[in-house]
Amino acid sequence: MRLFWELSKLAFQRQLTYRAATLAGLATNFFFGMLRASVLIALYHGQSEIAGMTITDAITFTGLTQAAIAFLSLFSWYEVMDSVYTGAVSSDMLKPMNYFNFWLAQDSGRAFASFLLRGLSIMIAYALLFDITVPQSADQWLAFILVLLLSWLVSFSWRFLVNLAAFWTPNALGIARLAFILSWFLSGFFMPLRFFPVWFVRLCYLTPFPYTINAVVEVYLGLVDGQALAAIILAQIAWILLLVLAGMIALRAGVRRLEILGG
Amino acid sequence: MSHTFNIYRHLISVNIRGQMQYRVSFLFDVLATALITALSFGSIALILQRFNNIAGWTVYELAFLFGMAETAFGTMDIIFSGFDPPYFGRRVRLGTFDQMLLRPVNLVVQVLGSQFILRRFGRIIQGSIILLISLTHLEIQWTAVKILMLPVVFISLVIFFGGLFIIGATLSFWTVESLEVVNIFTYGGTELMQYPMEIYPNLIRTFFTYILPAIFLLYYPTLYILDKPDPLGMPPFSPFLAPFVAVAVFIVAFAFWNYGLRFYQSTGS
Repeated sequence: MRLFWELSKLAFQRQLTYRAATLAGLATNFFFGMLRASVLIALYHGQSEIAGMTITDAITFTGLTQAAIAFLSLFSWYEVMDSVYTGAVSSDMLKPMNYFNFWLAQDSGRAFASFLLRGLSIMIAYALLFDITVPQSADQWLAFILVLLLSWLVSFSWRFLVNLAAFWTPNALGIARLAFILSWFLSGFFMPLRFFPVWFVRLCYLTPFPYTINAVVEVYLGLVDGQALAAIILAQIAWILLLVLAGMIALRAGVRRLEILGG
Repeated sequence: MSHTFNIYRHLISVNIRGQMQYRVSFLFDVLATALITALSFGSIALILQRFNNIAGWTVYELAFLFGMAETAFGTMDIIFSGFDPPYFGRRVRLGTFDQMLLRPVNLVVQVLGSQFILRRFGRIIQGSIILLISLTHLEIQWTAVKILMLPVVFISLVIFFGGLFIIGATLSFWTVESLEVVNIFTYGGTELMQYPMEIYPNLIRTFFTYILPAIFLLYYPTLYILDKPDPLGMPPFSPFLAPFVAVAVFIVAFAFWNYGLRFYQSTGS
């Protein structure tokens, strides 16, 4: 546990080091947030509410999703893959720690730093410039924090699994890119899933992706509560277990055929 | 001149052969790139089943903006990928740019030849399909001027985006750390142009009209081709500015590149 904590702390500090990069990233995320908000405002065309979401909710949606980009490494995360190709994986596997936990620890530090630097700060900027929706009760805040935490675990266990493709092919980047792109659209990052036709939403919910973005957004905006909220939390836990299990099996099979390159 | 061209051709062919080495990965890559375009437009089309239009623009009118921007950006990205700011920035950081400076070959040709991302064809193909769908569904009153505008707008966009890449790459002579901000103008610019400009807040629109005049590259020509009224009240010659703006941006970009080169200091690594 101590090792886990130290690794997490190191990853956290590493993230804090690049200040100019953080600022540039923030500016970019914010600018794209503005573009996406403009599109939604134009779509609403003065209507006050669509599919249960007010225009304020819709603007908040763009803030939340832009804030999630760094937190969940939404666009790319090839760290395990890189370590396989550089050969660093051989020494990582000798460490007195489960290989999955070794990466989980580092990602926890990275995610937490990103949450503070690029998540929270975007939401604060949004709150200063726009009218945004904020959870109304302590219960809702608690539910949001729990669902957010679980969303990170769903995201990490999925990212880990995708990266394991590197154990099989010497160039898994194409496969990983494809996987990430699918996740943008199926997770409800691009547009709130409730704006889509029912068949498309059903399709999305067959995958773990809505449990990374869409679920978090809906809980934050207070669009779900009671049973529906419980169902989301249970589904998140189920996906985490399933993805971790798949990761373990794939890892075990992958290690057996791993050839260390470089070194 | 023909010697330089041969070098360029050789660099590109080496590049392409390199990419084709891992065939499965390459195929996935093409698929992934095509998917971004198809899915982003597909999502808008699905959303519009509920909303009908964006600021009075139907799905096929949007498809024109979208298809044109994507196809042009994809084409530019293949030709100018050596200047892609994050890629070029890494070259500067690693010090491999120094090698280029030492070779007795035109520098720009070397940078252009240093990367040729074949997978972007996925984007071009998807973009053209969307453009084609748009053109077959819209009842455009074709005139000679409008027909001529199609290739002119396309080439202008390629030159314009290419200029932005060169400006972004040049910035990496000063900073290699905060390059992500360049994405606002390159990727942000394409994203911005995929929607009618009247939907954006004044501040953003003013910037992309008077400082970086992206508005004249696609939005105004499209208004003209589709016979849509101009909600912004710009002068009537606005739809015809695209090639002039593109060339001007490119000249500025190139001057900036030459200026930047004089200040280039190796990272020493």
